[in-house]
Amino acid sequence: MQIDWLTVAAQIVNFLVLVWLLKHFLYGPVTAAMARREDRIAERVNSAREREDAAERERERLHERMERLEDRRDAVLEQAREEAESEKQRLLEEARADVDDKREHWRQQLRDEQDAFAKQLRRQTAEGFADLARKALSDLADVRLEDRMVETLGARLVGLAEDEREQFRGAGELVVSTGFELDDERRARLTELVQEHLGDDRQPGFEQDPELVCGIALTAGGRRLAWSLADYLDGFERKLTAHLDHRQRESADTESKTESDAERETAATSS
Amino acid sequence: MTISPDQILLWQWGPLHINATLAYTWLVMLLLTGGSWLITRRLRTGPDISRWQNLLEVLVTGLKDQIRDVSRQDPGQYLPFVGTLFIFIATANLLSLVPGYMPPTGSLSTTTALALCVLTAVPLYGVLHRGPIGYLRRYVQPTPLMLPFNLIGELSRTVALAVRLYGNIMSGTVIVGILISLTPFLFPIVMQLLGLLTGMIQAYIFAVLAMVYIASASSAQKGEP
Repeated sequence: MQIDWLTVAAQIVNFLVLVWLLKHFLYGPVTAAMARREDRIAERVNSAREREDAAERERERLHERMERLEDRRDAVLEQAREEAESEKQRLLEEARADVDDKREHWRQQLRDEQDAFAKQLRRQTAEGFADLARKALSDLADVRLEDRMVETLGARLVGLAEDEREQFRGAGELVVSTGFELDDERRARLTELVQEHLGDDRQPGFEQDPELVCGIALTAGGRRLAWSLADYLDGFERKLTAHLDHRQRESADTESKTESDAERETAATSS
Repeated sequence: MTISPDQILLWQWGPLHINATLAYTWLVMLLLTGGSWLITRRLRTGPDISRWQNLLEVLVTGLKDQIRDVSRQDPGQYLPFVGTLFIFIATANLLSLVPGYMPPTGSLSTTTALALCVLTAVPLYGVLHRGPIGYLRRYVQPTPLMLPFNLIGELSRTVALAVRLYGNIMSGTVIVGILISLTPFLFPIVMQLLGLLTGMIQAYIFAVLAMVYIASASSAQKGEP
């Protein structure tokens, strides 16, 4: 175990030279390379982070824009829906009012036609009855219808109670109305019948009333005694009217059912 | 039997001579410097690097981490000195696998030179970090009575550094030499493997102790008034 001090000195120098050499050929370059790589990595990370931030900002911007567009679209859709609904209601109301008008007009027309038909029927029926009666009476008993009516009035006068006769007597001017033309003979017969059965000497007046059609009436003030085919015709007309009303109601029911079906169908289509 | 490579003289001119210690030291220096130059002349900074560059980076990073762990300071300023201690001793010891090679660390002259370098580096780093007064003050603490003991400690640990490394490496070489003469097969190889392990451990111990001494001189007493 010995120390060669010359070798020691040389080794010290050698070691220091080696330190210097390794510093320049090993530590320095390697450390610098690692630092450069770390810088580059950091730079890339920063760049990536910046791009990520930019992308995030862009994403948020697009998201907000999309939300605004969706809100606007919803508002426009809602407005269009409301407008369409109100327009539908308006059109429905118009159609309903139109249908109501037409129905009312049709009913009025139907009523008018019904009235006109009833009047015409009544007149034609009365005339038919009158002709029929006249012909039947003439054929069967050789009697005129007008004469039978005069006699019928006479028979009614006979059937009056005494107090009724009294009322006729004190009621003012006596007037005999007929639906047909009275000749003098029948006027005389009527005058005779009135004076005889009422006990009234007054001369009755005569007038022709087309409304009576086929009938005869004695009026005095507010009192009236009459026979007329119109009485029978009134009953016939009532039956006929009832029948027509029944048919009309059936028709109206059918029509309203058809309308409500159509409305339901329209509502289902629109919803 | 040759115990130290100092005794093998290769060239002599008057008082000057070149022995095996110096020659093998130069060989080690040549290998280290040449290898480093070959690898680091084409360093790449991209993500794809060569295996050799990767090896060097792992080595440098490992050294830095060790220095940082021991000193709790930035390893940059200590890396050349401590790192070179470790790399030189480790390489010198590992090459003992090569037949005919004698590790220069098996020479007390070499280990003494290295220990003297540490002995010098400790006050240099201490003065650099704490100033001359701040550094010298640590010799009279906790009391001036400790001054001689501190000085003795300083010297003795330097001697210990030198002798520890020398003893370990020289003994490994000597044991192998003795075993070869006694049992030429198998045993010397096992002992040489053990010598490799010892060589690496000694390099690590030498470098870490040097770092501990330097760190204790430069920063361990930062909490002092």
